[in-house]
Amino acid sequence: MKYFNRIQFIIAFFFILITVVTVLIVSFMLYNKFSNTAEDTAELNMGQVVEQVKYNLEMYVKNLTSIFEVVEETIDRSSSFSNPILEEQLNSIMKTREDLISIAVFTRDGKRVVNIPKLAMRPNTLLQRQSWFYSALEDPEKLSVSSPHIQNLFKTQYKWAVSLSKQIAYQQNGMDSKGVLVVDMNFKTIDELSRQVVFGKRGYVYIIDSYGNIVYHPQQQLIYAGLKYEDLERVLTYSYGSYQDELNGEQRMITIKTVNPIGWKVIGVAYKDELLTTKSELSTFLLWFLIVVIIFVLLLAIFVSARISSPIQRLAKSVKMLGEGHLNTPIPVSGIYEVEELSRRYHVMLQQIRHLMDQIIVEQEAKRKSELDVLQAQINPHFLYNTLNSVIRLVEKGHSGEAVSAITSLSRFFRISLSKGKNFITVQEELEHVRHYLIIQTIRYKNKFHYTIEAEEQVLPCLTMKLILQPIVENAIVHGIEQMADMGMIRIIARVEAGHLLFEITDNGLGMSQGVLDRLLLHGVPNSQGSGVGVRNVNQRIQLHYGSEYGIQFESELEEGTTVRITLPLERSQEEGEA
Amino acid sequence: MFVTWMIGCLMLTSCSVDGGLLRDNHERHIDLIVKMNHGDYWSTLRMGAEVAAKEFNVNLRFLAPPNEDDIQGQINLVNESIQKHPDALLLAASDYMRLAQVTDRAANNNIPIISIDSEVGSARVKSYIGTDNYEAGQRAAERMIHLLGGRGKIAVMNFVQEARNANQREEGLLDYVARYPNVQILDIAYCQSSREMASAMTRDWLRDYPDLDGIITLNAEASIGVGRAVKEAGLGGMVKVIAFDSPQETLEMLQDGTLQALVVQNPFNNGYLAVQYAVELIEGRKIADRIDTGIKVIDLENMLWPENQKLLFPFVR
Repeated sequence: MKYFNRIQFIIAFFFILITVVTVLIVSFMLYNKFSNTAEDTAELNMGQVVEQVKYNLEMYVKNLTSIFEVVEETIDRSSSFSNPILEEQLNSIMKTREDLISIAVFTRDGKRVVNIPKLAMRPNTLLQRQSWFYSALEDPEKLSVSSPHIQNLFKTQYKWAVSLSKQIAYQQNGMDSKGVLVVDMNFKTIDELSRQVVFGKRGYVYIIDSYGNIVYHPQQQLIYAGLKYEDLERVLTYSYGSYQDELNGEQRMITIKTVNPIGWKVIGVAYKDELLTTKSELSTFLLWFLIVVIIFVLLLAIFVSARISSPIQRLAKSVKMLGEGHLNTPIPVSGIYEVEELSRRYHVMLQQIRHLMDQIIVEQEAKRKSELDVLQAQINPHFLYNTLNSVIRLVEKGHSGEAVSAITSLSRFFRISLSKGKNFITVQEELEHVRHYLIIQTIRYKNKFHYTIEAEEQVLPCLTMKLILQPIVENAIVHGIEQMADMGMIRIIARVEAGHLLFEITDNGLGMSQGVLDRLLLHGVPNSQGSGVGVRNVNQRIQLHYGSEYGIQFESELEEGTTVRITLPLERSQEEGEA
Repeated sequence: MFVTWMIGCLMLTSCSVDGGLLRDNHERHIDLIVKMNHGDYWSTLRMGAEVAAKEFNVNLRFLAPPNEDDIQGQINLVNESIQKHPDALLLAASDYMRLAQVTDRAANNNIPIISIDSEVGSARVKSYIGTDNYEAGQRAAERMIHLLGGRGKIAVMNFVQEARNANQREEGLLDYVARYPNVQILDIAYCQSSREMASAMTRDWLRDYPDLDGIITLNAEASIGVGRAVKEAGLGGMVKVIAFDSPQETLEMLQDGTLQALVVQNPFNNGYLAVQYAVELIEGRKIADRIDTGIKVIDLENMLWPENQKLLFPFVR
């Protein structure tokens, strides 16, 4: 089943299917068209030939009839048969046509009255039983034309003759008598004419009279002997026309024409497979054509389908390799346009993936590092050491109240720093944290600066990332206020601005140049005495966690002071009660 | 599935093509060797064979020695034919025994042989197509005895002693006559297929046997000779004559009453069927050992029946 679903197979299959079906249909239509035309032409030709035979027969009968009429008229004009002039006239008529055998008159009893040429009668002619004689008597007015028969009347060669006969009135020995006039015409002309007609190799014509007796047939003996058969009953139902029949499994075309006025029928018989040789030639040609086309299409289909499918297969293979984790597998970028395009896009996508993966690795590393930094910041030995030193100094000087407040703040400071390992604390806790830091630092820096912490009521229960304010404040003290001669001032405000949580840390210190600011955010300057968590670290942590739209902004004027804004999303605490 | 379908289509097309091609793909060569190259009988046989040759796409060679008694001439013709190696050989043997050897030779050369008209003394012949000569003899005797009313004296004019058909006709005749004790056969003569000899011998009979009632002749030449002699003697109708075959002259004598009946073979059909069966043999079909082409007894009454006219007058002159 897998094989049949392949693009190569599908393309090849339908390619061949469509072509073969088309060729078959076209061949079939062509074959039908040509064979019909061939058949029509054959039928037309045959019809013409049969028509020709019919025409010749009609001419033959017409000539005979006119000769007969001349003879009849001559006899009619003459007073008596003993008249030598009549004999002379009849002899000259005989000479007009070579195929005239004889002219004779018989009495109604079958006795000879006269015959030209003058030959002795044969005995035992049985002429009264011959059709020309009795049909002349049966229908006195009508000229009867007999079927060809053997003329056995006179002592000469037996000849095949067609007899024209009619009852006539004549005078004999001064008496009016009636008798039969018969003119015999040699059948040879018709026989030869019909024999010459051939359709194909074996086709022929035959002639029957109106009763279905055979007048001429090339195989007459075989028919009489019962070895050959012609369907005369069917032929007799036609006057004109053609049909097809089957004899011994062979298709034959039969064309029939009737000879007027004697009612003979000329029947042309042709064997279809002979006439329609073009038909078999055509089918042979079409067969070869089909074979050639199929072979050609097969090769073409294999070629084309391979050309289309192989780049796709290569691509699929590469993708499979990639899927298995071999990210460095090369993507083939050649072949047909669509696949090329697909490969290219895929390639771009892959690069993106690689890039993103690299980025993730970097970010993960940074995150881990900053988390570590935070952890470190939570317990900063320097800060502890400095603070404890300050406390010792206070105790030595006897400022025990201040020492207590410093230690209390230190304790609170570390408690919030740890916050049970939570990374997120409320704004209130964060502000508390920075306040304790500031308390410690004011003690340490001997009230070198003041500070204020303001917060809107609504932001207090909001969540914030912990330990973000302390590094900023530390930075403000170290870089802004420490070297200042005047009294320093640090102002911390927490409020909501444009749906965000905003911390603003303002100092009136020395301020920073743009270069220092940039350095601060990009590289970070962890100071040795501070908590160690750099401003950069704060910014990084915010952006890694909340996204790049959040973070730290600096505004600084030399000699004027610095304002740091920390923007965070506004997040309400889930467990306000615990704050 | 697809391949099967395609092959199916091809087969279908090729079948229809083959049907048209097979029928007349090659011409077959058949040699027809008869007893002599003239005479109505042989001409009619040849005509029949040629009609069949045309119908079955056969290239037919008609060969015959100038005379029926030229047996060596016929043997030479068979030898010559073997050289050409036709697809089949049709042979009307002039001599039952003398043609046997050369017939075997043809068979040894893998040429199928059909004997026509007269048989030949070889077991290698595939079939015999022609008149049942024994029956022809019987029919002649039957008609004669019928005319004589079952009693009388008759003589028989045979043609050659060695020819198989002559012997068979005579045998049939004698077997039939033997049933009638009142019919006596006075003499059996052999005219060597010469009408002059037949006439002379008839004249002797008429002189020697004044009470002769009838003569049966067993071939065309004998018939003409006997008929002429009887007519000359003015005994037409007095001495009944049953003749054989139908040359023009015997028909004239039938009409003028010299001959009472003719036992007529069908040479056209002989020739036609010989070629037809030869073709069947070439195509590998089995054919019967003997094929009887039929005989007819023609008398004045039925000679002008339409179905007999073409048999008696095969040529339109």
